[in-house]
Amino acid sequence: MRKTTLIVASLFTVLGILFSFLPLGTLALLPIVVALIFSFLTIQKSEPNFKKLPKMLLTVSVICFFVVLAKEFLVKDEVAVDKTFEKTKIETKAEAKKELEDLEELESLE
Amino acid sequence: MKKIVACTLFLTFVSFSFSQIKAGEKLTFAASYNMSGLMTQLAQVTMETETVNTEKNNYLHLSCEAATFSKWDSFFKIRDLYESYVNPETLKPSLYKRSISEGGYTKKEKYAFKGTSVTSTTKRKNMAETTKKFTIGSSTQDIVSLIYKLRTIDFSKMSAGQTTSMMLVFDEKQLGVTVKYMGKETVSAGNLGKKECYKLSIDAKTDKLKGTDKNLIWLTADAKKVPALIKFSIPVGTGQLALSSATGI
Repeated sequence: MRKTTLIVASLFTVLGILFSFLPLGTLALLPIVVALIFSFLTIQKSEPNFKKLPKMLLTVSVICFFVVLAKEFLVKDEVAVDKTFEKTKIETKAEAKKELEDLEELESLE
Repeated sequence: MKKIVACTLFLTFVSFSFSQIKAGEKLTFAASYNMSGLMTQLAQVTMETETVNTEKNNYLHLSCEAATFSKWDSFFKIRDLYESYVNPETLKPSLYKRSISEGGYTKKEKYAFKGTSVTSTTKRKNMAETTKKFTIGSSTQDIVSLIYKLRTIDFSKMSAGQTTSMMLVFDEKQLGVTVKYMGKETVSAGNLGKKECYKLSIDAKTDKLKGTDKNLIWLTADAKKVPALIKFSIPVGTGQLALSSATGI
């Protein structure tokens, strides 16, 4: 039983670390919470001499938990200035004006 | 007496057929997508209006752009631009353009409206340009102008469950759209604060939208009818657009 909880805790801790670095927002909390629960269960089921690894997993998960929360509340969602997109918008607008004039020309011919 | 009646009729006609959409309006939304039950903010959607003049006419340029937040750009960059050039009074479209760039995939579309006929040009990534000509109804809108047209409907006299029909051109064909008024609800409307809104359900005859009463739009229950919240359900999931800022309204 301890072995199973330890494997699950390790797996979800690794996932939690990965998700913390990806821009997944609060979704990253899902594997972290699972890792926290299983790390805690493993500590409960471990003999005093074998508590080092699950304690480490628990610590890493707690750090990831706070990293995700900090990112969620402190990092502002912003759109980067995209020069290519801005250029596309200007070009599209100029093309549209020409296309509208062509349409008007066609209508006046009919 | 005749003058009073004539004036009343004229004002009624004006209020029904002329739009209250003005140039200089800017609406900013935060777009979120439901990932495993959690709403994750992905992109910013901006809807803007401005006047465009040609030698013969003046148009209202309605644009809607979607751009992913910078933290997502390295994983899945989206830069979409939807534009419609419409008659400022009737919101009837003359030209509709769509340019999408989503994670490396690109597509450009152009719809030129001439009376009841539309000439569409589509260019997909690594594919040849295709042109199609098809007939539409006299009151058919494109997707952008339809959102603005929705804002000119008087919902104050409608009762919950009442529907109204509209026509839309999308993906090189004409679609029927049913708008169902579902009553009033108070929702958060960004810098406008909490607002009482008209809750509307949008149903289009397309496989792009899923479920019954799952595609919803909340318009502020005032003269401006600003979209405060939009919820959508598509084959790959659900999401929402929440108004964060409204200026120039």
